[in-house]
Amino acid sequence: MQDLLYFSQQLINGLTIGSTYALIAIGYTMVYGIIGMINFAHGEIYMIGAYTALIAITGLAALGIAWLPLILIVALLCAMIVSSSMGWAVERVAYRPVRGRHRLIPLISAIGMSIFLQNYVHLAQGSRNIGFPALIDGGFNFGSGDGFQMSLSYMQITIFITTLICMTALSLFISRSRTGRACRAVSQDLGMASLLGIDTNRIISATFVIGAALAAVAGLLLGMYYGSVDPLFGFIAGLKAFTAAVLGGIGSIPGAMLGGLILGVAESMTSGYLSGEYKDVISFSLLILILLFKPTGLLGKPEVEKI
Amino acid sequence: MRTSVKQLVTAVSTSVALMGAGHAAAEIQIGIAGPMTGPVAQYGDMQFSGARMAIEQINANGGVMGEELVAVEYDDVCDPKQAVTVANSLVNDGVRFVIGHLCSSSTQPASDIYEDEGILMVTPASTSPEITERGYELVFRTIGLDSMQGPVAGNYIASQNPERVAIVHDKQQYGEGIATAVRDTLKDAGVEIAMFEGITAGDKDFSSLVTKLKQADVDYVYYGGYHPELGLILRQARSADLDARFMGPEGVGNKDINTIAGEAAEGLLVTLPPAFDQKAENQALVKAFEEKGEDPSGPFVLTSYTAVQLVAEGIEAAGSTDPFDVAAALREGTFQTPIGTVEYDKAGDMKSFEFVVYEWHSDGSKTPVN
Amino acid sequence: MAAYNFRHALFCAIITLIISYPIIGFNLEAQGIKVTLTGADASTLTMVLLAAVIVFLFQLFRENILGALRSIPSPLPEAKKEPMAENRRAKIESWVLTGIVVLALFWPFFVSRGSVDLATLVLIYIMLALGLNVVVGLAGLLDLGYVAFYAVGAYTFALLSQYTGISFWLALPIGALLAALFGLVLGFPVLRLRGDYLAIVTLGFGEIIRILLNNWTTLTGGPNGIGGIPDPTLFGMEFGRRVKEEGNTSFHETFGIAYSGEHKVIFLYLIALVLAVFTALVIRRFMRMPVGRAWEALREDEIAARSLGLSRTAVKLSAFTIGAFFAGFAGTVFASKQGFISPESFVFLESAIILAIVVLGGMGSQIGVVLAAIAVTILPELAREFSEYRMLIFGAAMVLMMVWRPQGLMPMRRIHIELKKQE
Repeated sequence: MQDLLYFSQQLINGLTIGSTYALIAIGYTMVYGIIGMINFAHGEIYMIGAYTALIAITGLAALGIAWLPLILIVALLCAMIVSSSMGWAVERVAYRPVRGRHRLIPLISAIGMSIFLQNYVHLAQGSRNIGFPALIDGGFNFGSGDGFQMSLSYMQITIFITTLICMTALSLFISRSRTGRACRAVSQDLGMASLLGIDTNRIISATFVIGAALAAVAGLLLGMYYGSVDPLFGFIAGLKAFTAAVLGGIGSIPGAMLGGLILGVAESMTSGYLSGEYKDVISFSLLILILLFKPTGLLGKPEVEKI
Repeated sequence: MRTSVKQLVTAVSTSVALMGAGHAAAEIQIGIAGPMTGPVAQYGDMQFSGARMAIEQINANGGVMGEELVAVEYDDVCDPKQAVTVANSLVNDGVRFVIGHLCSSSTQPASDIYEDEGILMVTPASTSPEITERGYELVFRTIGLDSMQGPVAGNYIASQNPERVAIVHDKQQYGEGIATAVRDTLKDAGVEIAMFEGITAGDKDFSSLVTKLKQADVDYVYYGGYHPELGLILRQARSADLDARFMGPEGVGNKDINTIAGEAAEGLLVTLPPAFDQKAENQALVKAFEEKGEDPSGPFVLTSYTAVQLVAEGIEAAGSTDPFDVAAALREGTFQTPIGTVEYDKAGDMKSFEFVVYEWHSDGSKTPVN
Repeated sequence: MAAYNFRHALFCAIITLIISYPIIGFNLEAQGIKVTLTGADASTLTMVLLAAVIVFLFQLFRENILGALRSIPSPLPEAKKEPMAENRRAKIESWVLTGIVVLALFWPFFVSRGSVDLATLVLIYIMLALGLNVVVGLAGLLDLGYVAFYAVGAYTFALLSQYTGISFWLALPIGALLAALFGLVLGFPVLRLRGDYLAIVTLGFGEIIRILLNNWTTLTGGPNGIGGIPDPTLFGMEFGRRVKEEGNTSFHETFGIAYSGEHKVIFLYLIALVLAVFTALVIRRFMRMPVGRAWEALREDEIAARSLGLSRTAVKLSAFTIGAFFAGFAGTVFASKQGFISPESFVFLESAIILAIVVLGGMGSQIGVVLAAIAVTILPELAREFSEYRMLIFGAAMVLMMVWRPQGLMPMRRIHIELKKQE
């Protein structure tokens, strides 16, 4: 019973991190699905989302506003607006001019952008870890007596629910809306879609904006859940999310969700049953193994090399 | 950028400045080498402010053997690679006394060069035992060792008769060093160590670790490392209702931990050097800092002040500016300094350096425990 | 059109404000135990506004500005000018290079010790960048974990000297070969992957190696690193004040001159110089050999190259291994120069800097890479204010280079025959 509770607690921990990985992974997977490049700067956009949310929360607190829903909504909106604008600008400045060139060129451009954004925030906000207020406190406890108590915090529940809502909304948007259909068309065949009168540039911009907005949601949630932000934490989270995207099959939205959850659980089980030191080794090894043996991921479609 | 090559050294700019100044006969150059920029610049500020103050005051009192002390400052960003470059420029600039470096991983490669070139080094902040283990003649410090701080923490925990203790560290030189010392002390005291584990510095998610601690049912958790990670661990432990007392070294004892951990920081135990700025005999000095608008309470301010003072008194005692003579004088003498009475052993460590256990509060204040 | 332009320009200006104002205009500061928000000072806000205005004006008059820029003759050499005869160009180039090397040989005797030490660092970066240039520039394989091979070289020397007391000269080839072996072993499975996947996997490998170095405390000392790595010797003569190894003599005693620490620094510099020249020459030879052409062929069009009978694996693997070999070289020199190494010298950022050097120098071009290595290492030294912004500028430069001049500042040229243009 004890062991089962312990296992479930680690499972919950893993699923919580996993669902935020999934939110970030959407950005990678959509961009890759449409223009076939890795948006290396996506992790930084997530980090900027977290910073903006913190700035908004601190600002509201200074103004004396204490009504929680209002704070959350304002913080979320601010983060989404700034992150989406950043996503839009990044695409415009660093990716659109190099689209269609040799594969390495957009990739190097993206790495440059990632370094640039990291240092942009670093210079503007300093390198210190800054505490993020825990706005949602408390939770449920399971387990009896003085044995191991499993806890499920309200914050974790918030993360699950938000992720679920975002994913459902996104899936509906992609499958039902006009823009969503255009997105799918562009990812099938960019040239053909533009011949059919779809403004492909606008669609590509839209993907960046949507991905960035979801990353901002993840930024706010994770900021509150973990408790601090610093200019570097986007990079590693981005890598993990990318791993999740690849794991689930890059280009596939349900794949990103699945990949995120698997990765999160794998990490938390590694620290739970082995040692936290090897957490990153496990996720990178997982990435390498998947790429070597099933490069299309769990839910991805096989890709045919075109001449 | 934790270990970034954010910038190279001020070396060129300083050396250019010096070329213009020339080496006037009536001055003794004191190099101050530490991070002016980069992730640990806030500790570097303490070092520079303490050393500058000492140089100012000594000069105001007529200098050393009638000669004026001149500060030459170098930025090593706490990067081992740049520390070597700094050390070489120092040699080049003809500096023969160095206050620094700050980070152990910078001090160690730089000290190789200083020892070879006959430059006396006093580090006010590097706590790694290895630095003075190599039998160097010209290496001193004005701070305790990890191997001194660890036992203080270990003995305190053991004195509370805990049933089970967990030790966590951040896999860095400083954190792992102290954690190992704590573990050894606890083992000798016969305390059961339920866990000895590393985490990744810079990580944010410690929920699995906290769950593990909960499962291990420990009463005490010792953390070797710095405040950003411990702050998060405290906070995540609180939200998971982990019922254990946390303890850490001086690297966690600053107010930044309160901004991260909030309420969860209440009751944290920290081993710190005694608050030198609270001592009655240092009040004049504290006032001098406050008049300059600087804060003397940081852990490395007065150790840096002392480092400069020791160099000056060593020169006076030896009656020479030859670093080897000064080193010999330092090993022989007994010195009254703001951090107490200083006597050196053969390795260049102080014969005694006290650490005190403090209880940290959620408003950022601290009270001594024993 | 004008109305659209205006709308678009306004939109861009607003976006500029949105992405800069919240981050730059507000500062989160920890004051005591509270995080407080302070507004930036007026000059910073003016800068933000100014940036928005510039973006607005640029977008509004985009066509005119770009048109004007296009009409200015490019100051860069190859534009319009009649290309020099290839063999003459090659001759001049080799003369210039020889001149530079000769100059570099005598230079350290006249300058300060700090500069020589810095120059040694530059040479290490040149070696690394030349090696990475083979992988990225010539073979077109984006390796983001290059620093791992550098670490292998450095740790090989450090560990061997600690456990067996090996000398620098013996460790140099061993370190390089071991790094090459690592390249071979790691490269074998991953080189089947496509460009961008390869980049991620190499990044992962780089991190894994660093984490292992950090965690394997019993062997590598973990975060404590390894100290006491010996300096290179000259025919058994040591450069230290005192002789550390039994049976060696010291340099200054043998020649009966006063001890000076400069000898060691200059000696290290000369070693690094010789190795860097060696690296450059070897890679130059490779570039002219069939394998070098195969690298480029594969980079340009993999499918076409394969259909002409090139073995993809063999060609890529050779580039990967040779690149790793020279990283091992550089690692050994670095370990010897530092005397102390720890995992924090081998982080991803180091890979990124080496990559930035290769990209700025012009992928494939050796002179370009050398110049970029010098610029990237020395510039922050010259202007202190600049060094705060170093990484920011690197990032921006990488983006701008890709957008405007993906071939780099000094693109590589091969000896080739031009087809006569039809009139």
